[in-house]
Amino acid sequence: MAMKYIRRRLVHAAILLIAISILSFALLQLAPGDYFDAMRMNPLISAQTVNGLRTEYGLDRPLAVRYEHWLVSVLRGELGFSIAYNSPVGPLIWVRARNTLLLTCGATVLAWLLAIPVGTWSAKKRGTLADRACGVAMSTFLTIPDLLLYLCLLLLAVRTGWFPAGGMISPGASSLGFWSKAKDVALHLLLPCVGLALTITPMLVRHIRSALIDVLESRFIRAARANGISGTRVLFRYAWPVAANPLISLLGFSIGTMLSASVLVEVILSWPGLGPLLVEAIFARDVYVVIGVVMLSSVFLVAGNLFADLLLLANDPRIRVE
Amino acid sequence: MIARPHQPLLRVEHLGMNHVQRHGVTNARLIVQAFADVNLTIYPGTTVALVGESGAGKSSLARCLALLEKPAEGEFWFDGVNLLALYGRALFPMRRKIQMIFQDPTSALNPRLTAGEIIAEPLLIHGQGTKAQRREQALNVMQQVGLPRKCERKTALEFSGGQRQRLAIARALILEPKLLILDEALSSLDIANQKMILKLLTDIQAARSLTYLHISHDLRLVSRFAEVVAVMHGGKIVEQGLAANLFAEPQHPYTQELLAAMPSLESICQERFA
Amino acid sequence: MRRRFKLCGALILLAGFQSLILLAGFFAPYNSTAQDRRFPFAPPTRVHFFDAKGKFHARPFVYGLKNDPVDFGAYGIDFTRVYPIRFLAAGAPYKIAGIFPAHIHLLGVEEPGRLFLLGSDGYGRDQLSRFLYGGQLSLLAGLIAAALSVFLGIMLGGVAGFYGGWLDNALMRGAELFLALPWLYLLFAVRAALPLHITQSQVFLLLVAVMGLVGWARPAGLIRGVVLSAKERSFVLAARGFGASDRYLLFRHILPQTSGVVLTQIALLIPQFVLAEVTLTFLGLGVGEPLASWGSLLSSLQQYSVLSSYWWMFLPALLLVPLFLGYYIAADALQERFKSVSL
Repeated sequence: MAMKYIRRRLVHAAILLIAISILSFALLQLAPGDYFDAMRMNPLISAQTVNGLRTEYGLDRPLAVRYEHWLVSVLRGELGFSIAYNSPVGPLIWVRARNTLLLTCGATVLAWLLAIPVGTWSAKKRGTLADRACGVAMSTFLTIPDLLLYLCLLLLAVRTGWFPAGGMISPGASSLGFWSKAKDVALHLLLPCVGLALTITPMLVRHIRSALIDVLESRFIRAARANGISGTRVLFRYAWPVAANPLISLLGFSIGTMLSASVLVEVILSWPGLGPLLVEAIFARDVYVVIGVVMLSSVFLVAGNLFADLLLLANDPRIRVE
Repeated sequence: MIARPHQPLLRVEHLGMNHVQRHGVTNARLIVQAFADVNLTIYPGTTVALVGESGAGKSSLARCLALLEKPAEGEFWFDGVNLLALYGRALFPMRRKIQMIFQDPTSALNPRLTAGEIIAEPLLIHGQGTKAQRREQALNVMQQVGLPRKCERKTALEFSGGQRQRLAIARALILEPKLLILDEALSSLDIANQKMILKLLTDIQAARSLTYLHISHDLRLVSRFAEVVAVMHGGKIVEQGLAANLFAEPQHPYTQELLAAMPSLESICQERFA
Repeated sequence: MRRRFKLCGALILLAGFQSLILLAGFFAPYNSTAQDRRFPFAPPTRVHFFDAKGKFHARPFVYGLKNDPVDFGAYGIDFTRVYPIRFLAAGAPYKIAGIFPAHIHLLGVEEPGRLFLLGSDGYGRDQLSRFLYGGQLSLLAGLIAAALSVFLGIMLGGVAGFYGGWLDNALMRGAELFLALPWLYLLFAVRAALPLHITQSQVFLLLVAVMGLVGWARPAGLIRGVVLSAKERSFVLAARGFGASDRYLLFRHILPQTSGVVLTQIALLIPQFVLAEVTLTFLGLGVGEPLASWGSLLSSLQQYSVLSSYWWMFLPALLLVPLFLGYYIAADALQERFKSVSL
């Protein structure tokens, strides 16, 4: 039964990704103008040269043909061709994607590590002054625009010099041993990770708190307490497994939010991920890079949701039994 | 006794209906039979009761008869007209003649509307009269069901359970229907309210020569006012006939079971105080 | 009771803030484009009530600003020049709502004095004025996009929930598609698709349209949920029993039930879209110069020199916080209110 469900979800995800690819491809290719616009404006370059270049890069073929070529290219792992970098898109993106994944995963782990204890404590102490103060603090954090948060972090780095203000490794670090390099990367990773994590932690805390409260006020918990089972045991062995259901869905959703937010963090704190690449490509009108980045981030998102669905499957016995 | 004019008000033969359910996770379609091969005849001016346990298909049948759902098979004659041959707008004028009262008066009334608006709504839908005329009619009907006129501007939530049911009845009466279907209409009320509403219904029936179809699982309640009783079990009508006969000499084993399970006053007293 | 206060308080805050921005022409001492190249990156002007001799003046005043002769970019105070702050002063002309010309500003100082209450930027433009004018653009973008999203959500979610069947399926698949796209990436991608040489107002409209079009999925899902449950309520069945048409049912009974969700979504989406516009403009992908937007005010902070030396450039970002706070509190209060009323 579970295998059938998993297979269905996988097929579903594949169809979704194809639909996204068609959508973004069509969107971008339908736009008037292309990479050579700037060149065209230049009176020194003849129209002939520009047209010749266009043909060479295949920009004058019809939409469906280009999509087909692009699909083939995807299967080969190249993901199209970047005109600005003069290389296949694939290799450009993989490195950046790895960095973005590192950042996003790290931030997700950090955010949940922060949110779970705070949310649980808040739910346990619901209604008390401490809980209300916490709620107010969370709301305040929620209203601080991400932009401001990242700029403040940058300011912190620049002013205090405790943290590197950008990049992934320090200059000259490539010659160090593995552990020193790892430490170096971690230090660079710290600030963007914290920034990104703080973006969603308040929301997570609120949801965890309300999910736990919902469960804690239900009858079977009261029955457990009445039977004399201690508070802590009730919390972890009874309340959490039930509250985990909506929270697993939340995990899937939070991955999407993280991905979107990561663009800004990477640009402001100069983390070499997909974000800065995307922004550059947009300015350069390097179409295939843009499509590649959008597709890749969609893949991450769909994969993340799929993972969350599988977790849900593992956690909820009701789905399995049926 | 009961006068039996020759023409029945409502006649259904071999009526059947299915439900389509979707499985929670796999989303597969399951076809469940709500009821099948139902034959029922209702004469004007009578009070008919349809009894059976939950899940027997009573509510589905009631909705079908109230023209809220379409049956899959069978014949449906009302007042000499074949209702299944009519669609959409053609069915519209027939809807005035059959009205339904629901079990839960709270969910049957839109909490955002005032009592006056709720009662006048059927007139609005049928485009009858001006706003002032509709209001006047609504107030009249309100008085007939025993609600004071000044309650007109209150919202539905401000009424008690019994009063809400009166509101629902007023709304059903305003189009002057011939048949009133009451789907467990008394089940959610306490005993005192049940008595009052029953009395109201009896008075109205006499005044407007209405026909009632009561759906209920409470046999004891039904025994007090029903003239004809139909027993439903597993989506089929297993027995129907005059109430007196049915209670005295039940034929079908299920009916016998139902009657046996119904505690009489003596047996209750025996259990508690013996 | 407390709920009432919360909502009212939030709404008052929002109304106040936004009317300041609406009447930017009046409340801003200068126009958004007025440059003064003599004073780039001037710190916020200090307002005094007591002069150098310790005398109290009922009317607050500012001292003149002068360039430091030695340290380029630094400023000193010219105590010899005193400029009292005038209220309802005549200043640069502007247009109310783009139609009615006027030239009275709330505050002003006589030339050549400068009233940089929030400091000035690299071109010597008053940050406060640019904040208020920029707000017009950013807020408008957020409002229109949110309204568009919610409107689409009502239409599509309402239809999907009410009619069900293949329509519902198709719409939900479509919504899933849109939800699966990281929306900021999609926004960027669409921005990439726009040609580089179209007018600013066209860019603005297109951006807003795209944000609205992308954001319909979540409201549609929520509204569909409400419609699905409202559809099964007995009072809808009863109305159907009277022969009510689908349109009547939708508009009279079902859609009014969605008002809670709709209002809450609007309150949540507006800050989200405002932030999206700000982010885009911050990165240079949104509306460009010389139109002021909150994003362009903050974009100079990307340079280290500005970030570390000129702290007042942060102030527009800080001023955004009460605005967002207002919207979130309103959304919260609305959610609570409608949770208790709902069925």
